[in-house]
Amino acid sequence: MSLIALSLKGLKRDLRAADVRALFMALTLAVAATTMIGFFLDRLDRGLTRQAGQLLGGDLVLEQGQPFDDDVRQTLREAGLRLSDQVDLVSMISQGDAFQSAGLKVVDDHYPLYGEVRVDRGDGIEAVAHGPPAGQAWIAPRLARLLEVKVGDTVQVGSASLRVGGLIDREPDQQGGFSGLTPRIMLDRADLQATELVRPGSRIEYELLAAGPPAAVEAVAARFERWREAGIEVRDVRVDRPSLGRSLERAQKYLSLAGLAAVLLAGVAVAMATRRYVDRHLDTAALMRCFGASQRQLGQLFAWQLGWLAIAAAALGALLGLAGQAGLLALLVRFLPLELPPPGWLPFAMGILTALAVLVGFAGPTLIRLRRVSALKVLRRELDPIPAAGWVVVGIASLVFGGLLWLYSGDPVLAVGILLGGLVALTVLAGAAHLLLSLLLGALSRFTPSGNGGRALQLGGRQLARRRQASLGQLLAFSVTFAAMAIIAVVRGDLLTTWQAQLPEETPNYFAINIQPQERDGVETLLEDAAGSASGLYPLVRGRLTAIDGQPPQARVPADNANDGALRRDLNLTWREALPDGNDVTAGEWFDPDAAMRATGNVPISVEEELAGRLGLSLGDTLTFTIGSDTVTGEVTSLRHLDWESFQPNFFIIFPPGVLESFGHSFITSFYLAEGNDALLGEMVRQYPGVSLLNVEALLEQVRGILTQVTRAVEFVLGFVLLAGVSVLYAALTASRPARAHEGALLRVFGASDRTLSRMQWSEFALLGLASGLLGAALAEVAAVGIFTWLGLSPRLHLTMWLSMPLLGAVMVGGIGFLLSRSTRRHSPMASLRLLGET
Amino acid sequence: MSHSSENQQDRILYASDLGKRVKSGEGELVILEALSLDVGRGESVAIVGSSGAGKSTLLGLLAGLDAPTSGALELFGQSLEELDEDGRAALRAGRVGFVFQNFQLLPTLTAMENVMLPLELSPRQDVAAKSRHWLTRVGLEGRLSHLPKQLSGGEQQRVAVARAFVTDPDLVFADEPTGNLDEETGRRIIDLLFALNRESDTTLILVTHDLALARRCDRCLKLENGALQPLEIDRHAEVSA
Repeated sequence: MSLIALSLKGLKRDLRAADVRALFMALTLAVAATTMIGFFLDRLDRGLTRQAGQLLGGDLVLEQGQPFDDDVRQTLREAGLRLSDQVDLVSMISQGDAFQSAGLKVVDDHYPLYGEVRVDRGDGIEAVAHGPPAGQAWIAPRLARLLEVKVGDTVQVGSASLRVGGLIDREPDQQGGFSGLTPRIMLDRADLQATELVRPGSRIEYELLAAGPPAAVEAVAARFERWREAGIEVRDVRVDRPSLGRSLERAQKYLSLAGLAAVLLAGVAVAMATRRYVDRHLDTAALMRCFGASQRQLGQLFAWQLGWLAIAAAALGALLGLAGQAGLLALLVRFLPLELPPPGWLPFAMGILTALAVLVGFAGPTLIRLRRVSALKVLRRELDPIPAAGWVVVGIASLVFGGLLWLYSGDPVLAVGILLGGLVALTVLAGAAHLLLSLLLGALSRFTPSGNGGRALQLGGRQLARRRQASLGQLLAFSVTFAAMAIIAVVRGDLLTTWQAQLPEETPNYFAINIQPQERDGVETLLEDAAGSASGLYPLVRGRLTAIDGQPPQARVPADNANDGALRRDLNLTWREALPDGNDVTAGEWFDPDAAMRATGNVPISVEEELAGRLGLSLGDTLTFTIGSDTVTGEVTSLRHLDWESFQPNFFIIFPPGVLESFGHSFITSFYLAEGNDALLGEMVRQYPGVSLLNVEALLEQVRGILTQVTRAVEFVLGFVLLAGVSVLYAALTASRPARAHEGALLRVFGASDRTLSRMQWSEFALLGLASGLLGAALAEVAAVGIFTWLGLSPRLHLTMWLSMPLLGAVMVGGIGFLLSRSTRRHSPMASLRLLGET
Repeated sequence: MSHSSENQQDRILYASDLGKRVKSGEGELVILEALSLDVGRGESVAIVGSSGAGKSTLLGLLAGLDAPTSGALELFGQSLEELDEDGRAALRAGRVGFVFQNFQLLPTLTAMENVMLPLELSPRQDVAAKSRHWLTRVGLEGRLSHLPKQLSGGEQQRVAVARAFVTDPDLVFADEPTGNLDEETGRRIIDLLFALNRESDTTLILVTHDLALARRCDRCLKLENGALQPLEIDRHAEVSA
């Protein structure tokens, strides 16, 4: 019989053993967690890559505030690119007395260059490769609800009356920007003139979308710089790959972290279960040596056996992962702006690799004992091969886990950092565990028992003391497990708290833009009277960054960011005496009102920290902005952190008062308008027709929806981490079961009742759980500081965790241990003694 | 002193000046000293000695489970000195059977699976049939799927005997095969062992402290002070070692 067949046969026999079941469970969970997250992120990534052109609207998108010249079109056409013209603007749409601001998208006959529009024209949703015909408007379902219109009704768009021809389910190029904030209305280019919305001074974005092979885009790339200098914003699909929102990106990081936590826990479980597996197979290995098996044959036999187990676990884990990713997707698909491709093979292959790597890393060093077993053991049972040194086991497991960290994060520095930090933490933890156990056992030995409970507690403590080394190992494993579970739980809690804090009650749901200086006071008064919370009015001047320290920005910023969007378009500049709400100065100082001008003679300016990071700006740098035909230069005197998801007007660059007032400017504000208070809108439109009102309620609802669903996704993944934690408990308690059965059997023979044994075992496990929970809380608190910083959250102390973890540990370890030891208490003393032959 | 096999080709085992010393806390401990032995095909040899005399150590050396610290040892004409542990294992494979005092059955395997184990190491088709045959031969045809804990001590030792003979070995080592059994059960096991030994023309080396059992072998040797001495046994009278 070949070794492979023999290994399969051996595995089949072994499936009865608790340690093999523990190994299988741990490996399955590791693979399920990683493939679930892997399948999901892989589909998302491939979807974004494949449909980048579709999301952007074309391979190349040019945008400016006026219609494009023929020579630009000519250049693009000559390169072999197909073109489509689009016009975006915001306007009020009405039907009867109902009116709503909407984002108009005016498309031509070539629309869409990529993908299809999913629209319901009265006969269910269908996918079509064109926009609405002339005379019709396709509108977002939300707009239809707000205006109370259905397909076939008429809406008023500016001066034009258009028939509602369909409801848009999904369009290929859902863009951000102000027009993206409002419900969509799409109409044909032929109807634009009739709306009379294109007038001098109107805020209109003209877009020229181009599609074609990468070579064609490359052929015109040399013109980008000239176009940008001419004020055209150029988006190249090869560079400006669409990204997900911040919440989803943070959720992605969390998912990866949770997946790796599950792998680590499963690894710990594998390591513990393998010890019992090896102990159980030492006699088999010795007998086989006796029958003539070589070391190599033995090594191969057990490697194959566990290899099959890993492959079976990987297959089941991958199936669970596949089902899990479908669950994740069901929670999040509504908010993903793209159709996802079917699951690929890569995560499946990664799942198998993960299972094998966990097996090699966490079980390998222990398994080597089986190769080393001497045939003489059949005559002298005490001749067990020496176990691998603890540092070898931890070292190899760390290397493999570090490799997996690198593989999944794609960041070797992060992997090494986490690994080294983890090893230092483990060393400190081992010391702390030793100290804690000594203190606990010392306290128990001085404790005078009263009643049955007290005696049981003391007996439990004695049991722990007798197996001090084993208890220490379990204490370490359980505390790492509890720490991993706690980290995932507190990070989840803090993510949710942070997200909920982003959108408090009365978060502004309207933006008012294009408020002229002479309208400022009037608008302010109107809002004070009728609106809820308002952000205040911010002046807005549009200027382009044209020099950093006197040099062209492209030459001065880090090479990777030479094409940063902030260098290719006008930036919104403002001036402000006081630091805006929600902004924090992270470097330098906010403007000193008594010294607006620096000693150097430069104007002080404050820059948003992320922009500063991208452009390599630091305090003391001078920035020159071109506003119209003039320039203004300022010196960076502070960097600010601000919350972009606050629904407040936010600015990259803030000047002090007295510098920008002479430039042409308008004002912007955001405010909260309670439902049913629509009269203010009518009044605003009537008094200030030039002011554009943007309703961001839909977007707010969408963000709230995303947060709710992301929360559920996070909880879903947390479930896997908890299961992985349970697998560690199961593996550890399984490994120590024979020794406990041995002691239990002897105690039964000496006259201990079932009740006494129950209490003693419960106390032992509960004490172990209590100490593990306490140590786990300490480890989690320290680790959370690093992880919170990585996720962009502020670290804080988690007092509840310090109380709940020891309690949870006592209940979990006590409960699971008690249940797993049940069989050893059920046997009669005689049967228990017979069992000893098997331990 | 040793008995020489008449024909070198019939020689199964040959030991010359065999010694085994181990280091202990109190210095070097001599377990076996200048021990010689020659065993021919089909012979049955009993090695008797008191507890702690080094019987199991000697058995381990003769079977190639352990390496001597001095002397020469040949098994099936192959010098064991030239072989490493894997080489000695390969030499044993299929040619040496064992019966142990504590049975050494794997608790998670059934009787049938325990007997199949030595056969599974080399590719062959008749593993199940052969195992069933030998279990039937030892009278356990109705206990094939029983786990060791479901068998009595005598039944467990019969499984071990079937396992020792299933590979048609040239040599069987038995280490106190009745040590864990009552007298009557032990007698039956020994009857079985010798019957199979005769049927299969197998060489049997038996280590025991039981003189009644030793008496049934062709030759008896006494292990004392690390050396082997021939033991004259009156096969019809009560003898003390």
